[in-house]
Parts: sequence; C-alpha cells; structure tokens
Amino acid sequence: MTTTLFVAGMSHRTAPVEIREQLALEEDKLREVVAALAAQGVAAELMILSTCNRVEVYGVAEAPGEARAAAFRQLGTHRGVALASIEPHLFAHTEEEAVRHAFRVAASLDSLVIGEPQILGQVKDAFALAQSCRTVGPVLNALMSQAFTVAKRVRTDTEVGRLAVSVASSAVELARKIFGSLDGKAVLLVGAGEMAELAARLLMEEGAMPLYIANRTPARARELAATLAGAAVPFEQMGAVMAEVDIVIACTAAPEPVVRVADVRAAVAARRTRPLFLIDLGVPRNVEAAVNGLEGVFAYDVDDLEQVVEANRRERQREARRAETMLEGEVTRFLRRLREVEVVPTIVSLKEKLEAIRRGELDKALARLPGASAETRAVLEALSQAIVNKVLHAPAVKLRDSSRDGHGRRWTEVVSEIFGLRRSTGERDR
Amino acid sequence: MINAVLYDIALTAYIVAMVAALGHLLGRREGLWRLALLCTQAGWLFHTLAIGLRGAELGRLPLLTLSELVSVMIWGAVLLELWAERVFRVKVLGAFVLPVIVGLGLALPTGLRALALEPAIRSAWIWVHAALALIGLAALVLNFAGAVMYLLQERQLKAKRPGPVYYRLPSLETLDRLSYRTLTLGFPFLTAGLVLGALWAGAAWGSVLTWDPLALFSVVMWMVYASILAGRVVGRWHGRRAAYLAVAGFCALLLTLGAGILLQGRHGS
Repeated sequence: MTTTLFVAGMSHRTAPVEIREQLALEEDKLREVVAALAAQGVAAELMILSTCNRVEVYGVAEAPGEARAAAFRQLGTHRGVALASIEPHLFAHTEEEAVRHAFRVAASLDSLVIGEPQILGQVKDAFALAQSCRTVGPVLNALMSQAFTVAKRVRTDTEVGRLAVSVASSAVELARKIFGSLDGKAVLLVGAGEMAELAARLLMEEGAMPLYIANRTPARARELAATLAGAAVPFEQMGAVMAEVDIVIACTAAPEPVVRVADVRAAVAARRTRPLFLIDLGVPRNVEAAVNGLEGVFAYDVDDLEQVVEANRRERQREARRAETMLEGEVTRFLRRLREVEVVPTIVSLKEKLEAIRRGELDKALARLPGASAETRAVLEALSQAIVNKVLHAPAVKLRDSSRDGHGRRWTEVVSEIFGLRRSTGERDR
Repeated sequence: MINAVLYDIALTAYIVAMVAALGHLLGRREGLWRLALLCTQAGWLFHTLAIGLRGAELGRLPLLTLSELVSVMIWGAVLLELWAERVFRVKVLGAFVLPVIVGLGLALPTGLRALALEPAIRSAWIWVHAALALIGLAALVLNFAGAVMYLLQERQLKAKRPGPVYYRLPSLETLDRLSYRTLTLGFPFLTAGLVLGALWAGAAWGSVLTWDPLALFSVVMWMVYASILAGRVVGRWHGRRAAYLAVAGFCALLLTLGAGILLQGRHGS
C-alpha cells in the first residue's frame, strides 16, 4: 500500500458561512481533534487549518477518503453536526492538486480578499499546532516549509498584497504616492466623525504628525484631540492651519462644502508649492470640486477613493494571475523533489541489505582463513565492497531516474520485490 | 575599426535594454527589468571600451568632435542612470532615460569631423571645458527623465484614474527629489564648463561671445536651467512648474546640440 498526500475541507468557495461557522474551532478544541485523529491512526500525517473562511485538513494517508470522513466526523462532534450535512460542501484534492491548493492558500491567492496578509500566519499556527501534536511527518513538513517560502516570494515579488482595498487605506496609499514617506507630515482633521478618526489613525501609524482637529463643536474636537494625541484648533482658523499642513481630511455632516476654493487658494499661496492632499470623506461633499484644479492640490472625495479602490482590486487581480504562474513553477519543482524523496528509503534499505549480506559472507570467509594476513583481509574487504557497489549502482540510478519521470512508485515496488526488501520501504512516510 | 564595432554593440545593448525597460513599465515582469539592467550594464562596459580605444587610437581624449562629445555624454548619462536607479529606488527610471540615450545615440553624427581649431588656441583648457560641460549635460538627461516621470504621475493623481504606469512610478516627492538632485549635480558642472569655454574664447578670439551657434544656444539653455534652480531656491517652482521648465531646458539642450551639428561656427563643422 502506498500513501497519498491530500487536502480536504471547505472554504468560502464551497460552503456558506452557516456551515463553516459550525466547524470553526478555537485552538484547544482543535488540538483535541488532532490528537483524537492521531490516536485513531487514520492518517500518517495530519494538520488542520481552521479560520473563519476555511476549515481544511491536510494529511498523508493510505486511504484519503476515509481519513477525510474521520476528520470531519471528529470536527463535527463538538457542535453535534452530522457528517452527512457537511459532506456536500467538502472539496478534496490529492497529490499535485493538494500541493497547488496548499501553496495558493498560504500565498493568499485563494482568500476572499486576495492578498490579505492574515492567512499566512493562520497556516503557520495550524502547522505549529500539528507539530506540537506530533502529527507532522516528512511530507507535511516539506510541503509547509515550501508553502511558506512560496507565500513569501509572492508577497515580495508581486503587488498582490500591497494595494489598498478599503477607502481609508487607499487614502493613505495615495498620500504615500504624493509625499513618499509620511514621516512628519502634518494632518488637519475637519470634523470629528468616525471615518475621519480612522483615516487619521492610519496616517499616524505611517508616521504622520502633528495632528490638528477643527470641529464646529469645540468640545468634540478637544475630546478627539485627547484620544489621538492631536491639538484642537478653532473652526474659524481652519484656513490658516491649512497653510501649515500637508494632508487635510474633511468629514463633517455639513450640507454644503466647508472647504472652499478661495480658502485653499489662499492656503496654497501661503505654503508656496508644497503639495496639499485633501481627503473629502463627507457626503454630501465637504470640499468644493474645483479645488482639485489648483496647482499642487490633490482633492479626492469618497467616489474618487472608491474608484482608486476599484482600480487597485483590478491591479491585484492582474498581479494574482502573475503570482499563479509563479506558483505553478513551484508546484512542479516541489513534486519533483517529493518524488525523489519517495525513492530514497528504498535505495537506503537496498544498500543496508546488500551491506548486511556482504558483512555476513565476508565474516564467514575470514573464519575459514584463520591465518590470513592483514593484506589478504584488506583485499577481501575491498573486493566485497566493490561487488556491492557495482550491484547497487544500476538499481539506484534507475530509481532516481524513474522518480524524475514520475514512475518512482512503480519502480520502488519492483526493486523491493526483486531484492526482497521490507514492504513498507517503498512508502515515504514510515 | 574595432571601437566602432564596440560602439555598435553598446548601442544595440542599450536598444535591447530600452525595449525591456519599456516592457517592464507597461507589463509586469520582473525578469524584463533584470534583463534591462543587465543589458544597460553590458552596454556601458562596451561603450567604455569603445571610448577608451578611440582615445588610444587618436592619442588624445575623445572630446573633440561632436559625435565624440555626444558619445561621452550618453556614456555619462548611462552611468548616472545606473547610480540613480539604485539610490532613488526607481526601477522604471531606465524606461525613461534609455529612450533619450538611444535617441541621442542613433542621431549621433557618424562622420568623425575634427573641430577646425587653430593650433594657437589649443590648450589644456579645452579638455576641461568639454569634460565639465559633458558631466553637466549627462546629469541633465536624468533631470529630463525625472521631469517627464513627474508630469506623468502628477497627471494620473490629478485625474484620479490610476493606470498601469501609476503603480510602477514612485511618489511625486521621490521624482521631485530626483529632478532636483540631478539639477544641482549637473548645473555647477555645466556652469563651470561654460565659463571656462567663455574665458578660453575670450583669450583666443578676444571676445567672450563671438558668433558661434553652439555657444549662443548653450547660454540660452544655461539660463533656462538657472531659472529653474533660482525658482527652486526661492521656493516658488517646485513640482509641476519645475518639471515643465526642465522639459523646456532639455529642449534647449537638444537645440544646442542640433545647432552645433548643423550650423557653421567656431566649434567646428
């Protein structure tokens, strides 16, 4: 019997959230499940990934179908969910498909929001949990370490996870496209709404400071200034402050624009031509549209930001396609390596067997030659060694070659059969 | 002549690098960027050899004919491009500099006309004059590329419709800094080169500004760049205005070269 690498489970692609949430388990419950499955011995290797978007079982087993059923039956017991109600939502991949799936998940190409960064950490946690339960063997170990490498490569070599896909973060990204680093860039908040607060926080995380807050109700401005470590300024002085800052976030409930072209023109004249970035989060708009026409001024309203987010999404998708191509190469390389690993135990046990025969026969021969000189012994030793090496050479080469062509399994069986090796040596996991 | 062959190889490498760099700008392949970088470096090495051999063959610095001058100028510009790409981390710089390099390289007059210099006025100063002016011009090629990139990126940000180039181009601030840095690098050399040339002309011909098209256009070009720098220092002309002026300055630079090639004057031809 040979073993198969498999992955089975459900994700946002195959199951609605009502089903997924029934299986999502916290860490200690998950640990119990993994331990219970290990005790049942359904799989040689096992790892369970459980996030809000997916519940997946990675493993190596002789009968992947049975292992899958056992794993999901066990996962269901905690919430009393019957296997039959889960089964229709399960996907199952083996071998090459499973490798591809593992790589795509770790690289966040299978995520609901492509390129979101959390998934890699979640996969690492799942792997660590499996390691602590001692259910990781050579195959999962190789698979996961390669998946982490691939994920890292996708992250650094493509823009898949880099472009903002929310309105607030896209504003920060635009600020970076204008100012480069946001270190020490002064921000003025006009209005004290929640969106404004979020955008200000994001900018400050990037190093923007100081922060000024102008609000029609001064008390609210002071309150927000306290939580964000900013300074409240009188609403009437907005224009003067604008001459000093680099980024203005407007988010008031005013029915008509509070930031007018005349104010901005005056501010721009006073600040020479350093660029000014106006983020208008108000609906109806807080900034007069004509402001964008002023030199060195970039004014974005919510619709503009949505448009940028949309463009970013498309760009992410294009980058994802590039990442998929990259990933294909990695899958092929990994499978080749895995197949080579597959034949190694057979070569090793063949070597051991021949060595045992050699030792035994050599000892017998030497026992019959009590008066043999050291020289004779050395010659016999070398002779036997040479014969063993020559016999070993052809099958070893054949096994390595066949693994490269994908016939490794067949040939490990043939070689094991011919040389009478232990049956399990053809398998890669025990 | 081996140096002409080497020069052709260099120019071919620059052309390949240009195509690859443009491909990297518009497509999304890191491999193309690496190819562009490799070809630029290889081209520069061949170019160096070509210039060195030409100097050895002539027994003087290859800074006398206009084709020699343009060749050395683009050699310097390629070197600066490789430097700036690293320092400013602008991977797409090549896509904007290399077309200029290739354009100048292809337009380079093939004849190797020597300048009709009266032996009496030959002095060491002519080499210093030419070398300084060339370093300045090489830096101004980069200044031009930086300005074009700035204008492109500024337009995208104003229009609020990010296209593929938007994602590749760095921040406005970086591009502004690149333009300013190359201007402050190039301008002093250009100034020193022109002043030396004027002094030398004064000593040789008794007049600082005799009727010489190259010299006259140089002065116009110098004034454009001087005004950008002055505008910067005073603080009025950052960003887009500086970029537009940098483009104008570069047009003056091209006119200067064109005048040197096409019109009769004391710089030869």
